[in-house]
Amino acid sequence: MTTHLDDDLLARWALGDEAPDGPAADHLQSCQRCAGSLAELRQVLDAAGDLPRLESPPAEVWSRITDELSLDPDRAEPTVIPLPDARRTPNASVRRFRGRALVAAAAVAAVLGAGVGVGATLIVQDDEKPTVQAVVPLSALEGRSGTGTADLLKAASGEQLKVTASGLAAAAGYYEVWMINTDGKRMVSLGVLDPSSAGTFQLPAQLIAQGYRIVDISLEPDDGNPEHSRNSIIRGTLPA
Amino acid sequence: MTVELLAARAGLARVCAVASAEAGPPSPAEISKAFAEGRPDSLADAYRCWSSLIFTLALRALGNRADAEDVTQQVFVSAWRGRANFDPDSGQLGAWLTGITRHRIADRLAARGRDLRNTEVAAQLAGERPAVQVVDDLTVDRVLIADELDRLGDPRRTILKLAFYEDCTYPQIAERLDLPLGTVKSHVRRGLLHLRDRLKEVTGDDTSR
Repeated sequence: MTTHLDDDLLARWALGDEAPDGPAADHLQSCQRCAGSLAELRQVLDAAGDLPRLESPPAEVWSRITDELSLDPDRAEPTVIPLPDARRTPNASVRRFRGRALVAAAAVAAVLGAGVGVGATLIVQDDEKPTVQAVVPLSALEGRSGTGTADLLKAASGEQLKVTASGLAAAAGYYEVWMINTDGKRMVSLGVLDPSSAGTFQLPAQLIAQGYRIVDISLEPDDGNPEHSRNSIIRGTLPA
Repeated sequence: MTVELLAARAGLARVCAVASAEAGPPSPAEISKAFAEGRPDSLADAYRCWSSLIFTLALRALGNRADAEDVTQQVFVSAWRGRANFDPDSGQLGAWLTGITRHRIADRLAARGRDLRNTEVAAQLAGERPAVQVVDDLTVDRVLIADELDRLGDPRRTILKLAFYEDCTYPQIAERLDLPLGTVKSHVRRGLLHLRDRLKEVTGDDTSR
């Protein structure tokens, strides 16, 4: 009976961690099955080099399905949350104000030449290094461009969100980070994002638990209006 | 260990985005079984679990949002009506839905070809290559891999996303997640093997390829 190469070794070769040598390399030359396995792994890696971002269908697709099947649409929640109407959200300005306090802290640090990312990190003064709980990609909404990631961090002081963006247009105004509730009715501003660097924002306690899981980056005009411009650029959803 | 446990819990929760109140989200296997039995809630669960996969597949293959929405609708409607043909013991619902999606995409591409022939002047088209009417396998593989990645438990999911989406090196990932280098390498290797296995499961018995 022929002994074949184990998957772990084949994975190392496919990833280029090691090069085939010795008897294992000889086996690879003569064994179609192992050569085939290696080729499959390389194929997966090739494909993985250019992965698409998954996109959810708009909410009306679900209602079209339930209409066509004459089912009760309330049995499911829409998978894509439209932007809530901030103008009708009670206490929006209060929430907004809290957001502003964080922005101010970050802005002070930025003035000191530390950059928004470093500045915002100053909010956390614990010695303990925050741990990463989740990383979600932020992808461009239709007709917009840019990508990014949102890292949910757990620090001794509570949860933080680290936002990194790239490819955001250098447009007039500024970019702002929002947390939108999956109920589609409420949102909270975390503060201003410097699109050329990362920003770390302290999250109010229980924010994620309450359903504020959609990370939304908007482009805001310099018009003094504290509400969401409704011009969302990139978005992603944190795990529940 | 604590970090991994915490992260793993976050990853599990992600498998199907919206949890039911008490019992946590149903697993793909539970959804598959309930779907085969025709339980009304299972269609919504299936939609939550696989609609992004199906929509993204259709969008990438067809390049048109309205067509991708139509295909997504058709896939769920025909899957629900034809649920008697689905056997949960022979594979997961996700793979079955993917198969239906491929057929619907192929139908749509064929219809486009017909439209093209009908609307263009025939003479103009004579001798030219016919419109592409097959679903590009690489496109499908890429969407399937992206979807499988999303379903991995953490920290493996985060590690592979950093590697594949952000081209991070092993040391960069290790530093960013505060994990030993060896742990990162081992997750990448096992993740790669897992992705290969899942891809074979979904595409292996698909006769349309």
